[in-house]
Amino acid sequence: MAERGTSKVEVKVFAEKLFAAGREVGFDAMEAYVASRNLFRVGVFKSEIDSYTLAQSRGLSFRGLINGRMGYSFTENLSEDSVALLVDDARANAAVIDSEDPEEIFGGSPEATYADVCSFSPALEQVLAAEKIAWVKEVEQQAYGLDVRVSTVQVSLGNSSGETMLMNTKGLNLAHQGNFADGYVAAVVKEGEDTKSAYAFFSSRDFSRFDPVTLSKEAVDEAISLLGAESIESGQYPVLLRHDVAGEFLATFASSFSAEAVQKGLSLLKDKQGEQIMSSNVTIIDDPHLPERPNSAPFDAEGVATASKEVVAAGRLMTLLHNLKTAKKDGVNSTGNAYKMAFNAPVTVAPTNLYIQPGKRDYADLVAHIEHGLIIIAVQGTHSGANPVSGDFSLSAYGYLVQGGQVVRPVNQVTIAGNFFKMLSDVQEVGNDLHFKMGSIAAPSLLIGSLAVSGK
Amino acid sequence: MLAKPLLEDILLAGLSTGGDFAEVFVEDRFSTILSMIGGKVDSGVSGRDYGIGVRILKGTNYVYAYTNDYSRDNLIKVAKEAAAAISPETISRNITLSFMKDEPLHINPIRIYPHEIVKQDKVSLMARAYHAAKEYDPVISQVMVRYFDEDQKVQIANSLGLYVEDERVRTRTAITAIASKGPEKQSGTYAPGAHMGFEFYDNIKIEDYAQEAARIASTMIHAPYAPSGRIPVIIDNEFGGVIFHEACGHSLEATSVAKKTSVFADKLGEKIASSVVSAVDDGTIPNAWGSLNVDDEGHVSQRNLLIEAGVLKGYMVDLYNGRRMNVPATGNSRRQSYKFAPTSRMTNTFILPGSHTREEIIASTEYGLFARYMGGGSVNPATGEFNFAVNEGYMVRNGKLAEPVRGATLIGQGSDVLLKIDMVADNLACGQGMCGSISGSLPADVGQPTIRVSEMIVGGRKGDK
Repeated sequence: MAERGTSKVEVKVFAEKLFAAGREVGFDAMEAYVASRNLFRVGVFKSEIDSYTLAQSRGLSFRGLINGRMGYSFTENLSEDSVALLVDDARANAAVIDSEDPEEIFGGSPEATYADVCSFSPALEQVLAAEKIAWVKEVEQQAYGLDVRVSTVQVSLGNSSGETMLMNTKGLNLAHQGNFADGYVAAVVKEGEDTKSAYAFFSSRDFSRFDPVTLSKEAVDEAISLLGAESIESGQYPVLLRHDVAGEFLATFASSFSAEAVQKGLSLLKDKQGEQIMSSNVTIIDDPHLPERPNSAPFDAEGVATASKEVVAAGRLMTLLHNLKTAKKDGVNSTGNAYKMAFNAPVTVAPTNLYIQPGKRDYADLVAHIEHGLIIIAVQGTHSGANPVSGDFSLSAYGYLVQGGQVVRPVNQVTIAGNFFKMLSDVQEVGNDLHFKMGSIAAPSLLIGSLAVSGK
Repeated sequence: MLAKPLLEDILLAGLSTGGDFAEVFVEDRFSTILSMIGGKVDSGVSGRDYGIGVRILKGTNYVYAYTNDYSRDNLIKVAKEAAAAISPETISRNITLSFMKDEPLHINPIRIYPHEIVKQDKVSLMARAYHAAKEYDPVISQVMVRYFDEDQKVQIANSLGLYVEDERVRTRTAITAIASKGPEKQSGTYAPGAHMGFEFYDNIKIEDYAQEAARIASTMIHAPYAPSGRIPVIIDNEFGGVIFHEACGHSLEATSVAKKTSVFADKLGEKIASSVVSAVDDGTIPNAWGSLNVDDEGHVSQRNLLIEAGVLKGYMVDLYNGRRMNVPATGNSRRQSYKFAPTSRMTNTFILPGSHTREEIIASTEYGLFARYMGGGSVNPATGEFNFAVNEGYMVRNGKLAEPVRGATLIGQGSDVLLKIDMVADNLACGQGMCGSISGSLPADVGQPTIRVSEMIVGGRKGDK
């Protein structure tokens, strides 16, 4: 898609008009936050292109302080008549706010603290649609060729580029550009009535890293390995959470580290700073400057300079994650974790790139360590079967049974249940296999001493 | 909204390389979200989503493009880029479009539009809900109330001559109560909503829903963990229908049926459920949360019979997947916004009433789990494996409800569970949910009478069987 060359100037002119209109009705400080994005995605089914998306979108979020209260509004329509709508809506929204913890429009971090984060690869923009289509078709063909039991393959590949701009009446004027590519290979295999499926996810800024052979094999091999799965006897088992599952757990319970959740009584980590909350072999880092990740940025959603931090060091809670409002309430500095779920969402708190620091043992070594236990390679229903407030979870899961350090058979139709913090206090070993596959939260494989498994 | 001549030009540009179908979807949506915690409004956001989606089909190839730069030049450019992706060569042909304006039946009459109500009145409603929940029981430590309304205007035109305008007004208020005891926390949620204006809140008493959320949380904070094992499960009416939605509904959407990735593909006329099970997807219930006047392809919404006495009778089909399946669309094509291509989705999906009563079902169960309120769940459409959280559960012993239990998860296989439903009660009710799938997150009603599944895997925390 063609760039909108004039857009930056256009947005600045629009913001100036907006600020002028806001001043007239009594806003003291105001901010315009603009996100624009171009997107391409292609999917193939039985060598036909069955989905193909081209997109350009842009949205502006306005917020401003009036009588000490912050009002929000947004639009995707940057026409002249949106100015009055934005100002009126924000004013009406501010009028009903009665939270005593005021938000602020930020004057800026010291210039030198804004890191130079490179999130844009010009080479990725040069990859032609035809190359991407050919790539997707090749992956599909590879996957079908791997095994006669492969019944359906779906492959999707996409890339997007975008820019975030933040301008306010306190003189802050920030912009950050990025691009990224990602996708998945989904394989369904059948043997008689037995159907199993598996995914291989991938993401990078470097298209040449996506290897059709490796990715198709990853999805197909895993699906085949699950054929013939059965449940197991209920009981307490040592459990190896494969890296992607460990990452999913961390993502599900990451909100516990948000100072906002703590202040609202929605986290168990209230008054836990400095205390041992997990096993001493667990260290959790939030690093907003990782070069390969799409979320990496020099500033957060309020314009505060971002920095890497240890959230948990050797099991001890070092800091909560803060934005300006939560930091003010706790009498600390913002950790640069202000976050907007979408351009038009209110400012909350979230990690940028959160991960558990990898250990030394590789995956095979961890498996060899298990006398009689389970490897969990997928959990389902984290949005319903896990409670981020209490840490409790009970999730449908599948994987493999391990005996004497060897995988003996696939296992499904089981649930694993426990409490996230108790589970992370029972981490026996941390793997060295940290991979960010999709999303911005990841972990290496974790060997858990004992977990309740329900099956037969 | 776009003028008809411009719509025609976009469609013609879309067909310029040999596509056999082109469609324009224009969306202009105003929405408001207010959130209250601890009785205080801590955020209020409102605004306008605006954009245009262009879809082009050629056989079973398709391209979707969207933009919110609505200038004529850009829209024609976007349509041409999409057309170029369908085929590189421009074909000159003579196409005349003549739009037939469809006046959809307004099955969802709106009396009070969201913009006619001042924000303070919305806040007063939230405050009523907050107080009702907070004051229910001293163990309630925190209450969150989230108010939502939207007014979505859409314009849909396609190269077959269809032209439809529609307006969808919805509102919903979600109340989450949290009960605390020492370091433990349990939550209860209730979130009534409708395809209706602010008059919805004259029809319901918000306090009742808030107290119910608080009752669930305060019951669960005192409850022990559920046991594990394979036992009979009674699933109560209303939101309990999420089991059917997840375990069966998604597998009856053409999205997976057309590609034969669904366990129910090629099974029309076959017995897929126990004979006490009949089910429908009905987008025509006036003002129901998942109802539509027309779907997002402009088709008038329908009531579709899915299962009759255990026999598979129909699927939910959109135009594109209907081409693969060689069947007409059923008014189920939906999308979250212009940022998504539409596909077959559920509207209001529920199991029809049976002949028993809830009391009879409990009385005839010697030992099992009674799932009074279900949480969300998910399903793998390829394998049919699903999971659901039980938000409020009770043990059943000797035909009577016994102690409440927390933390239970129900897992199983959709096709298997449908065959194991052995009793269906007469108390059909629906609950509101947001359903996520490839065309985004959509309002959908789930529903059922109280049902019993003869055997299901319950995953709990207690290691016993």
